[in-house]
Amino acid sequence: MSADLFRTERLTRRYHNDGREVPALTDVDLRIAPGARLGIVGESGSGKSTLVRLLAGLDRPTSGRVWFEGTQITALPERRRGFLRASVQMVFQDPRSSLNPRMRVGDIITEPLRSRLLRPQLDGLDHRTRLAEVLAAVDLEPDAADRYPHEFSGGQRQRIAIARALAPKPEVLIADEPVSALDVSVRAQVLNLLTDLVAAEGLSLIVVSHDLLVVRHLCDELAVMRAGRIVESGPTEQVYTHPSTEYTAALLAAIPRIRTGPGEPGASR
Amino acid sequence: MTLLEVCDLTVTFGRHRRPALDGVCFSLDAGCRLGVIGESGSGKTVTALAVMGLLPEYARVSGTVELAGHQITQLSESGLARLRGDVVSMVFQEPMTALDPTMRVGRQVAEVLRLHAGAESGPARAAVVRMLAEVGLSDPDRVADAYPHQLSGGQRQRVILAMALINAPDLVICDEPTTALDVTVQATVLAKLDEVLEASGAACLFISHDLAVVSQVCDQVVVMLDGRIVETGSVADLFANPQHPYTKGLVAAAQLDAATPGQRLPVVEDFYQPDAGAKR
Ligand SMILES: Nc1ncnc2c1ncn2[C@@H]1O[C@H](COP(=O)(O)OP(=O)(O)O)[C@@H](O)[C@H]1O
Ligand SMILES: Nc1ncnc2c1ncn2[C@@H]1O[C@H](COP(=O)(O)OP(=O)(O)O)[C@@H](O)[C@H]1O
Ligand SMILES: [Mg+2]
Ligand SMILES: [Mg+2]
Repeated sequence: MSADLFRTERLTRRYHNDGREVPALTDVDLRIAPGARLGIVGESGSGKSTLVRLLAGLDRPTSGRVWFEGTQITALPERRRGFLRASVQMVFQDPRSSLNPRMRVGDIITEPLRSRLLRPQLDGLDHRTRLAEVLAAVDLEPDAADRYPHEFSGGQRQRIAIARALAPKPEVLIADEPVSALDVSVRAQVLNLLTDLVAAEGLSLIVVSHDLLVVRHLCDELAVMRAGRIVESGPTEQVYTHPSTEYTAALLAAIPRIRTGPGEPGASR
Repeated sequence: MTLLEVCDLTVTFGRHRRPALDGVCFSLDAGCRLGVIGESGSGKTVTALAVMGLLPEYARVSGTVELAGHQITQLSESGLARLRGDVVSMVFQEPMTALDPTMRVGRQVAEVLRLHAGAESGPARAAVVRMLAEVGLSDPDRVADAYPHQLSGGQRQRVILAMALINAPDLVICDEPTTALDVTVQATVLAKLDEVLEASGAACLFISHDLAVVSQVCDQVVVMLDGRIVETGSVADLFANPQHPYTKGLVAAAQLDAATPGQRLPVVEDFYQPDAGAKR
């Protein structure tokens, strides 16, 4: 059991929306091995973000349990979640809204290191040194630390968000739609950066995306979600080449591809 | 027949800034579809706003924009208002900002119709419901009575599409119309757009940073970089055989499925040889 990085048992989360009950996640059983690179795909509203927020301990389930490295985190009070905050870090879709516009980039990146909860775990870590290290790791100039988020492009802001996530030396990086808001050329740069970082830092990686090609590029395992459940999972290439559900096949078919000749499939003209 | 002719269009915001558009020229025939691709900040939206006559007053504009025989840059505000809807309409990226959150969706679509056709409320309602059905909304009566927040992202974008099409304009400008949608919903909205454009015979100026989407929807493409058009061609030629290093880079970076998983992806910079003199 304790060999798992994450394990969930009948993980369920219901929201209440104007008196209506929304079953965002229902009875999800999942095991993730250390060093895994897991992709989670599915249409919007299928429960991807809900699932990873529960894994990161940012939300509490309605029922069911989550273990991280053998410790059941579901029942832990906030003050005992410090180890989780240090070990599991998240990067979100929109770097514009996830970075505090009034803080300098250096303070944004070192913010997790100043957290009261994390401090015991990060004893002896020198903030300035770590700041320089993570800025270099994401290919930003050292003087970026003194500037504000609005002075950076979308791709650079996503690098800042990744640097902040790396700062407390996590074991797991969870990226929720990390490239969905980026231009194609910037997307390629950020995907290359994530690939390199995972290898260099020996991170486990969990990537959420509605785009199966993004996940295929980064991950070797895949879980497909629909309406709050995992409907298909397995090695990425297997799911990609031989989807076992029509739903996954439809997700694959919906990916737009560049048409270079007239009259190719998908093109009406 | 040429519907839209943009000639040497230059737009500057503020005295000391680089032009947002710098000598942009292109033309679009009636019933044809032109894609505009390029990274964010390259000038795609400013181009669309110039064609709609929606640039802010402080923008300095030179060059000409001729749409269905009208000189857009010379028209008065009332002249422009008459063109919008009848001749040209626009679909924006974020459906939430284009819809009034406090008004039922059906009334918002009817308002567009009333503005241009002077229709009575009874027939207007029927026309609205018909249009909502035409853009693929399966329960158009219910949708007409809903407020925007009660609809999904894909439904909202279809409502916007209905507003853009209801006066049967000659040109529909779509600015990143599906960027906020996920791939499955995007596919259905694009298929519907294709169908309604085909049925109405309207031309389309289709802006997107997603090359694959543009290749699915358009016949011709222009590639923008820093306010200039760096390459123009048919979809088939330009994507199969890009000439400009920037276009080569974009096409390579966009083809995620062509890369081996985990291997380094090509980026635009790879296509600028340091000694070739081509400089971004
Ligand atoms: N904070 C919340 N309050 C109410 N409903 C929510 C909340 N977060 C998510 N939901 C609902 O839960 C479902 C799953 O959402 P989410 O996990 O965000 O899906 P995904 O990330 O796959 O798009 C959706 O129906 C969504 O509307
Ligand atoms: N209203 C405005 N005032 C000042 N600058 C603007 C305005 N609109 C656009 N710009 C500038 O013009 C350039 C092109 O912008 P835009 O056409 O929106 O790019 P794209 O749509 O290709 O992302 C950018 O540098 C942008 O900052
Ligand atoms: Mg999500
Ligand atoms: Mg734009």
